[in-house]
Amino acid sequence: MSAVLAIAAKDLRQRLRDRSAWVIVFLAPVLISALMALAFNNNSEFRANIGVVDLDRGPAAVGLTEVLKSPELADTVHVRAYDDESAARRAVDAGGVHAAIVVPEGFSAALHGGRATPLTVLDSVDYGLQAQLARAVTESYVAQVNADRLSVATAVAAGASQTDIPQLAAKAALLHLPEQVRAQGLPDDPLKVISYFGPSMGMFFVLFTVGFGARGYFVEQQQGTLDRISAAPVGRGALLIGKSVSTFVYSLAGLLTVTLVSWLAFGARWADPVGVAALSVAMAVCMVCLTALVIALVRTEQQAQGLASVLVFALVLLGGNFVFASGSTPMIRRLALFTPNGWALRGFTDLGTGVRGWDAVGAPLLGIAAFSAAVAALTAVLLRLRRTT
Amino acid sequence: MSAPTGHASSRQAVLECAHLVRRFGERTAVDDVSMRIAPGETYGLLGPNGAGKTTTIRMVCGLLRPDAGSVYVAGRAMSTAAGPAKQLIGFVPQDVALYPDLSVRENLRFFGRLYRLPRRRLERRVDEVLHLVDLGSRAGDRVDSLSGGMRRRLNIGAGLVHSPTLLVLDEPTVGVDPQSRHAILESVHRFGEEGMAVLYTTHYMEEAERLCDRVGIIDRGRLVAEGTPRELVALVAERDRVRLTAVGNLTAYAKACRRMARIEGAARSGEHGDVVELVVKDARSLLPDLLDLAHEQGVGVRSVEIDEPDLESVFLHLTGTALRE
Repeated sequence: MSAVLAIAAKDLRQRLRDRSAWVIVFLAPVLISALMALAFNNNSEFRANIGVVDLDRGPAAVGLTEVLKSPELADTVHVRAYDDESAARRAVDAGGVHAAIVVPEGFSAALHGGRATPLTVLDSVDYGLQAQLARAVTESYVAQVNADRLSVATAVAAGASQTDIPQLAAKAALLHLPEQVRAQGLPDDPLKVISYFGPSMGMFFVLFTVGFGARGYFVEQQQGTLDRISAAPVGRGALLIGKSVSTFVYSLAGLLTVTLVSWLAFGARWADPVGVAALSVAMAVCMVCLTALVIALVRTEQQAQGLASVLVFALVLLGGNFVFASGSTPMIRRLALFTPNGWALRGFTDLGTGVRGWDAVGAPLLGIAAFSAAVAALTAVLLRLRRTT
Repeated sequence: MSAPTGHASSRQAVLECAHLVRRFGERTAVDDVSMRIAPGETYGLLGPNGAGKTTTIRMVCGLLRPDAGSVYVAGRAMSTAAGPAKQLIGFVPQDVALYPDLSVRENLRFFGRLYRLPRRRLERRVDEVLHLVDLGSRAGDRVDSLSGGMRRRLNIGAGLVHSPTLLVLDEPTVGVDPQSRHAILESVHRFGEEGMAVLYTTHYMEEAERLCDRVGIIDRGRLVAEGTPRELVALVAERDRVRLTAVGNLTAYAKACRRMARIEGAARSGEHGDVVELVVKDARSLLPDLLDLAHEQGVGVRSVEIDEPDLESVFLHLTGTALRE
């Protein structure tokens, strides 16, 4: 036990004296998480200045403007009126407004059975999100208008008098589409960006400890200190455990630092701190297994560096560390289930949306454990093969 | 062994190796090597590079499993009681095997902890070793800030922290400046005087002669002779080495020399090919004949050196090759 602790303490001391290790495992993930939090997390700061060109001068155009000025959008959308399309275009190009909606002449008349005339959204590549918002509001409003037209046409077809059309149109306009959709089975809390990207970046950078650990082993082999340790009354098991303990502690410290900073400084929220700790411990164990695998697969420090880098990037790309899992393709989502970080991110996502306990981390912990067990078994086979050749 | 003239001590051996064999594929690196080292004895394993010295040492220290044979350290078998056997050995590898990013004291402390020294005793031993290797004033400095000689001394110190019964040094003076080399040899000499058994490998004949109570000569994996330096030199008794520096057809002269009685070997050598080396019996009485022959062959002799036999001569005599080929 004394030898195990001596080896682990020595390895940790060496790592803590390596400034690059501090930067990669502690500083970089915190900084990148902070940047992501600043970039995505301040939703209340989002503003859309939208211009409206009313060439229709009818009730439907007024209705659209009222929707844009409704209390629901008041905090987000600021409406500015323009007399013609070219003035609005100039304003969009100059950045005076982020997007503009042109309501064509005859838009309201279409409600009474006239020919449909399309709305136009003028946008700018610089304000994609605002343009998207303008399009969404417009499409929603047009859907409502089309529903009104349909109800009027249905009434006329059923025998209503042509003279009643204005009245029917007015009544139809008072009705609204049954637009409400209620999601079933989803947690109530929205996932905050930092709650996802904090641990995600932590895991990404902690994966680099695989390279550190494997390279450290070969550096020791090269400088003869590994022989010196082996010449002491230290069993092979004690040597392996000592080195594993240092990798475990270092990885765990990295992950916990990032989650703590994300929580305390950037407002990340997870429903269950025990779940967060369990996922972090599982990932740290997995780092130990991956380090052992790299050592078993290669023969030199350079090879260790190369293989560890490939492994890190393959895992983070497949595991979804750079994108929300929901934003990736079904194929990538399936592949993420073959990565420990993919499983861990699932767990952090559930914890970040209010799910607690085993429901949130049970499957992820089993997934990470299965991955780690497979890696450990492969490593054992490789080491046995190496010893016999 | 072709000339087993050495005598094993009657005291209980600190190290006893019997019939060690180690093969790497088709190559036999160590072939039936046996040796015994008594307490307080300094044993030199002398041989050229690639002779099997390091492989032998790695088996002695339990770093390499022998294909055949046994290693006992103070009666503890390395094969079945590796822990207790290793506890008694202080291993000093050929290259400096230290952590450059740790301090001198941290290195000593770490290697001491591997031998399970209690905290107080460890601290005391670290201080003693720092004093012994004369690095007390640099105890807090990182190893990568030390000079090459200091690192070498610390490399030896790291093998001494746990007060081993047997100190194994693998060519500790390779690539060391003369001053540091002298300091290392002095230290090793002192360890022997203090009662520590030392196994010392080298390809420097002078070191073996100066330090070792007994020497084993190893060549191509086999121990070809063993004994005290005096006993080994006696193997080539009455044979001298003669170096003639001359001008003329030295190849023909060397050939003519080989035909003379009492001349066991003659070859042209020297950096400029201006030397003829001869191994002869009783050089002083043969010298006039050698000079006459040179005169007959039209060879102009500039100088003559006659060396008394030493371990280098022994090695040449036993293996037919030079130690530093």
